[in-house]
Amino acid sequence: MKLSYSLITRRTFLNTLFGGWLVAFFSGTFYALMKFAFPTLGKEPDFVVLNKKDFIGLANNSIKRFPWGGTVGLYYTKADGSVIALKGVCSHMDCNVDYKPAEKRFYCACHQGWFDENGKNVAGPPPKPLEIFVISEEGEKLIIAKKGVKVELPKA
Amino acid sequence: MRRIEIVEHCLKRSLLSRRRWLLSPVLVLLMNTATSWAADKIVKIDVFPPTPYDGYIIYESLAVFWLFIIGLIVIIRMKLREIERIQELGVENEDKDAPMLR
Amino acid sequence: MNCPRLKDWLDERYDWEGIKKLAKSKLIPEHRYDLWYYTGGITLFLFILQFMTGMLMALYYVPHIDFAHKSIIEIVTKLNMGWFFRSLHHWGSQLCVAFLFIHLFGTLLLKSYRKPREMVWVTGFILLGISIFFGLSGYLLLWDERAFAATRVATGGAGAFPVIGWFIKAFLRGSMDVTGDTLLRFYAFHVAILPIITLCLVGLHLILVQYHGMSVPLSLEKEKPREAPFFPNVFYKDLMIWLVVMGVLVTLTVLLPPEINPKADPLAPPPENIKPEWYFLFLLETLKLFPGEILGLNGETIAILLVAGAILFFFLIPFFDRKSSRGEKSPLFTWIGVIYLLYFLTMTAVGYLS
Repeated sequence: MKLSYSLITRRTFLNTLFGGWLVAFFSGTFYALMKFAFPTLGKEPDFVVLNKKDFIGLANNSIKRFPWGGTVGLYYTKADGSVIALKGVCSHMDCNVDYKPAEKRFYCACHQGWFDENGKNVAGPPPKPLEIFVISEEGEKLIIAKKGVKVELPKA
Repeated sequence: MRRIEIVEHCLKRSLLSRRRWLLSPVLVLLMNTATSWAADKIVKIDVFPPTPYDGYIIYESLAVFWLFIIGLIVIIRMKLREIERIQELGVENEDKDAPMLR
Repeated sequence: MNCPRLKDWLDERYDWEGIKKLAKSKLIPEHRYDLWYYTGGITLFLFILQFMTGMLMALYYVPHIDFAHKSIIEIVTKLNMGWFFRSLHHWGSQLCVAFLFIHLFGTLLLKSYRKPREMVWVTGFILLGISIFFGLSGYLLLWDERAFAATRVATGGAGAFPVIGWFIKAFLRGSMDVTGDTLLRFYAFHVAILPIITLCLVGLHLILVQYHGMSVPLSLEKEKPREAPFFPNVFYKDLMIWLVVMGVLVTLTVLLPPEINPKADPLAPPPENIKPEWYFLFLLETLKLFPGEILGLNGETIAILLVAGAILFFFLIPFFDRKSSRGEKSPLFTWIGVIYLLYFLTMTAVGYLS
């Protein structure tokens, strides 16, 4: 069926084509710019590899800090001798948490948040518990990984 | 000297074979190793993504980019032609004696 | 774009009639040489691109001698498309200076500088000096062997200026030799001081061009060539040309990314065959022409004085060229312009090939 009139004017057609092409063009440019401007350096790692001998013979009811990407992780030896690893960063506004051995709880000084021995948020503003990591050993190395991450060591 | 002879032999073989497309990365590698023999192992910093996967994506993006530009130029030319056509008709200019609508 | 509500919102608050009339009244002459009109716009476009890519890199660059080189390597190897923006900035600067020279010699030979446009020439010439300084300061920021040696030569050369040379050298270097102070100083110039001055001068240059309109070459003045409205006709032509320039720029960026040489070592000898950027070559070759001593006076000083004199004359051409300011043909100054152009091209070629 051939129409005897045009459904749109030349002006609308040309302007839509022009505008649409420009939008596509600039969105591509913008995407590239955003990928550049948002840092890829220092993203959070999936796991870290530490030396086992640095983490044996630690006292009960104490923490040992280890580097987790750009932030801090805590290797926590509980009062009963069991060991967990957690991220030492408060779930409220990302301040570093401290351990209070007397109260057996973690304390965040920024807004007076408290976490218990298992990292659960018990008092103050923190909305979520501290992130718990999975500890495993491989020969001389201690591997601390995010939950659910398959650890594959490079063959170096 | 022996190394150079081996290189020449391989080059001759590869030029005649069907796998010619392998030649350029091989040549690049050879040039890199050659300069490193001479230059005391100066570390070559990659100013371009080294993996061929990334390389192909970039060249393909360059082609798409040129298509974008050519398309844009064509559209602008169409607009320009249309505007010049209207201007030649003389219907573009505002009527000076037209009454205000308000 | 048809947005009547937005237009009404703006109309109820601001009176656009003046601006609209101004925009409609901008007319561009059409004649045999009208392609030259686009060179200024291309230079402006490339300048804006430089600003944008420069701002992006400034997010990650560290202007300290221990970290400068490393930060650029990180930009190029670790960031998404970092290599692309650095390469774009490099090629952008090359093309910008190239078109700047094309624009310069175009306006010189077409005598656009004549009355009443002398101040356009003056602001433009200062912008030329600033752009060259942009290039010089930006080059050092990589802090690799080549840049270090080239900056030593350039600032040392400035020091050979009589009377005030030592001051210029100390001011540029920030200390006796090219050091971390020099790097920091050049960074301040490149990223803060020069951009502000450039914005003001480009603004002035553009306002003057709008005020005076486009200059028509003397030989065509009597014919009163046809004029096309800038909005939208010439604007679209400008846009098309800018798109082509961008295409060429991006192609160069992707196919020929610039190298990163090893980090600068102040104690090491300069690398083989060190050469400054191509737009300095003609100066270097000129200096090389002069012998060490002329009639008992220091050859280098005489060379620098002559070069400075030539540049000063070039700067003041609109004020010397009386004939063209009266609207008469001025073949002497056409020849002077041609000689300057040929000298520049020849010396650059000699410098490049030797």
